[in-house]
Amino acid sequence: MTGYFETLSIVVQIALRNLLASRYKTLIVGGIIGFGAFLVVIGTSLLDSVDRAMSRSIIGSIAGNIQVYSSDSKEDLDVMGGWSFDANQLEPLTDYARVKQVLMSVPNVAGVVPMGINSAMVMSGNTVDQALARLRGLVNKQRAGDKSTELASAYVAERDHVRQIVSVLRGDIENVKLLHDERSVATEDLNAVAHAAAPEFWADFDAEPLDHLEFLENKIAPLATDADMLFIRYVGTDPAVFARSFDRMAIVEGQPIPEGQRGFLFSKYVYEEQVKLKTARRLDKIHEARDIRHSLIKKDADLQRLVRESSTQVKELLLQLDAPKTALFRQKLQAELHGTEADVGKLLSQFLNTTDENFDERYAFFYRELAPSLELYRIRIGDTLTIKAFTKSGYVQSANLKVYGTFAFKGLEKSPQAGASSMMDLVSFRELYGFMTEDKAREIAAMRAHSGAKEVSRENAEAELFGSAPSPAADDGNAPAVDMGAQLAGLAGSHAHEEAAPTGYDPAQLQQGVVLNAAVLLKDQTQLEPTIAAIEAAGKSAGLPLKAISWQKASGLIGQFTVLMRVVLFTAVLIIFVVALVIINNALVMATLERVREIGTLRAVGAQRRFILAMLVLESIAVGIVFGAAGALAGSLLVVWLGHAGIPAANDIFMFFFSGPRLHPSLAGKNLLLALGIVFLVSVISSIYPALLAMRVSPREAMQAEE
Amino acid sequence: MDQIVSIDAATKDYRLGKVVVRALRGVSLAVTKGEFLSIAGPSGSGKTTLLNLIGCVDTATTGTVKVAGRDTAKLSERELTRLRLDTIGFIFQSFNLVNVLDVFHNVELPLLLQRRLSASERNQRVLDLLERVGLAEHIRHRPNELSGGQRQRVAIARALVTRPMLVLADEPTANLDSVTGQNILDLMKELNRTEQTTFIFSTHDARVMAHASSLVRLADGKLSENGAGPNAAELSEHHSAPGSAVLT
Repeated sequence: MTGYFETLSIVVQIALRNLLASRYKTLIVGGIIGFGAFLVVIGTSLLDSVDRAMSRSIIGSIAGNIQVYSSDSKEDLDVMGGWSFDANQLEPLTDYARVKQVLMSVPNVAGVVPMGINSAMVMSGNTVDQALARLRGLVNKQRAGDKSTELASAYVAERDHVRQIVSVLRGDIENVKLLHDERSVATEDLNAVAHAAAPEFWADFDAEPLDHLEFLENKIAPLATDADMLFIRYVGTDPAVFARSFDRMAIVEGQPIPEGQRGFLFSKYVYEEQVKLKTARRLDKIHEARDIRHSLIKKDADLQRLVRESSTQVKELLLQLDAPKTALFRQKLQAELHGTEADVGKLLSQFLNTTDENFDERYAFFYRELAPSLELYRIRIGDTLTIKAFTKSGYVQSANLKVYGTFAFKGLEKSPQAGASSMMDLVSFRELYGFMTEDKAREIAAMRAHSGAKEVSRENAEAELFGSAPSPAADDGNAPAVDMGAQLAGLAGSHAHEEAAPTGYDPAQLQQGVVLNAAVLLKDQTQLEPTIAAIEAAGKSAGLPLKAISWQKASGLIGQFTVLMRVVLFTAVLIIFVVALVIINNALVMATLERVREIGTLRAVGAQRRFILAMLVLESIAVGIVFGAAGALAGSLLVVWLGHAGIPAANDIFMFFFSGPRLHPSLAGKNLLLALGIVFLVSVISSIYPALLAMRVSPREAMQAEE
Repeated sequence: MDQIVSIDAATKDYRLGKVVVRALRGVSLAVTKGEFLSIAGPSGSGKTTLLNLIGCVDTATTGTVKVAGRDTAKLSERELTRLRLDTIGFIFQSFNLVNVLDVFHNVELPLLLQRRLSASERNQRVLDLLERVGLAEHIRHRPNELSGGQRQRVAIARALVTRPMLVLADEPTANLDSVTGQNILDLMKELNRTEQTTFIFSTHDARVMAHASSLVRLADGKLSENGAGPNAAELSEHHSAPGSAVLT
């Protein structure tokens, strides 16, 4: 085999020199290949980084590494709730103590957090309701015999506030009538509001406050359209274990739910987005956009919309103002705006019509001067919240829970996904989900004893119910005995019935009883799949219907995001390379046809076919490797640079995907190998057809006279 | 074995669409070592086809073609290629050099394909040959930096570098001016004499034919004339060396 390498070297020489000789073709083909390699490196690096960042977000907020739920469930678990408010239809795991015991028996499991996820409506009550409730309270105290002057002045202030509200509402309704259509306002409402706004109504008020209050509650309160029903997603859990296990969780305001106490923690995101006074929220948003993203009101249509909404929707503020506050606001706003306008509504509207020049000043003024006189949040920390949820069997269950505070996950404060769920204790969750808690069981037992109901077993139910001896009431044992009518009435009202529910419970209840799912945290996070298998195996041998899924599956659509993006990326890369393949193939076929004489000559003077094949494939591979490497290098440099500089999260959603305000992508060797591998493959594949053509070139071609 | 090429009743048909072109209609020819044979004939007479058969780049439709004692019809594509590489040198009308390689590498190429000689042997042989053809000064030039005559000299050097038994030249002077063409022929004849290399060349130029030691004429795919030595009519002032073509 003398000269084997020399032969190879001549092949290489001819190949490389041919590439140089036809440099435009080489540049075009190489450019495509380089771009493809660049894209693969950048794309896969970014996706891997987002994947890692998002896994931190998801694992660190609610999901944990693995979620466990009953394999009998009809639906898949989605702890992030996807994009809907519906909770999953999960079959409960009835004995958490055993579930935990089985899970902890798997060696790689570091901890288990019991959970249940559901959503509920919360009636926060509108401003009118709240004012009327306060007034009624004061009236009741007076009627109970309290003659103190504080009470009397509080009563007057609250009464005048209500009167103020009525006049605001009247103005509002008349505006609607003016702007829209007579028919859009019911005459009955108009009359009611006219009646309530009339001086005579208020002249009689002190004499018969209860009658007048009833009129206001029934006829006027429903007209205030700021009646607010919040939809809240919450996770019921063992608050202490949750906080310990998800160490990114931090209390923002208030305090954690104390051990053994029923309670509720708002997600800070939800608290800000939904509970905060809308005007204040809008100001915050504008402030944030200007401060962090350096947007300008005059350039940003979104900010202009926020300004417009603030300026036109001042009713929310006006309803909160009683007479002294109205006067205070008038005085402060006149001073701030250097005007003589007396109407506080118009003053507020003018004040909130902010521009880039005066925004910072007015933002500060709002929080310094006006906010102290306003309820910034419809639900305050320390309030008791009435949560009404549909149980799994469809009826409405309610619970009164004290709001202990708000919480957020560090680095994900602005993320709607991480902030989607609020939190309550597991015991209250069970109650709202329709599981029998110890308290409920006791309550039912008491009711049964009181009403004389007796236990009806399934076997003799028919005889008991339809037999000769009729029983006064029946209880199917599944649902707690509740009066559906009362439940529905409760749903319609707001803070109507606040029964004194026990606020404490035995902490041991958290360690046993029913849960819907459980988050599992691992010692070694890389052993995800083996641990999932181990958990399911342990469940099977213990006779528990345990289904374990990765955090990625557990977070549903959101968890699948990177998978989806990967599909998109690879589709794009595939399309690029298919196009590249066609272009390269065409270029090489053209080149081959141009070189028929040269190839024929080589064949004539004694080059075997495989020499020609090697020459052409080598040309393609050389182009692929050189330009592919250049593209991959360029991509790597960009990734490294981005890794230093960080990619800023453009909006709140990206905060979640980036697990913080900036993504610092890193380069992985496998991405480079992947890029080079793909490029190599494309180069080889694209040269196959032209190489076959070239191989078939007859040495006779050399003998043809030149055209 | 002095008979380098022997052709017996060779025919060659080409298919052009639906038409069958009968390029050779039964040619018999024997070429012995050291000949300087000219195949003459007008365009389309089958000169190139005959050269193709002799050069093992094509095989006969019927009849036999033996080159260096081997029946080309019985050889595989690879064997034919090897036969070309080892026993035949080609000189083309359009020179057909590899444009991306310099003069030295163009000449060295067949040796590299042969893989028989060491680098120093190759070097020696290539340089000697380039000296012989008068291109010692130009070994690092690319073909497109050379004149037509210089290019054909490179081609001749390439054809001879493997020391083949037989050199085929297809209209070697057709693309050259007459003076250059004359020089090329002189070179070929000199090599024929000193190296005892057999040359077969096609031409339709009478002045070129005059150099031949023997001549065959092709017309319409047949040998039109038997004779030893060039036809008197085509002999101009030049006188060819006595040939020994045996036409059967």
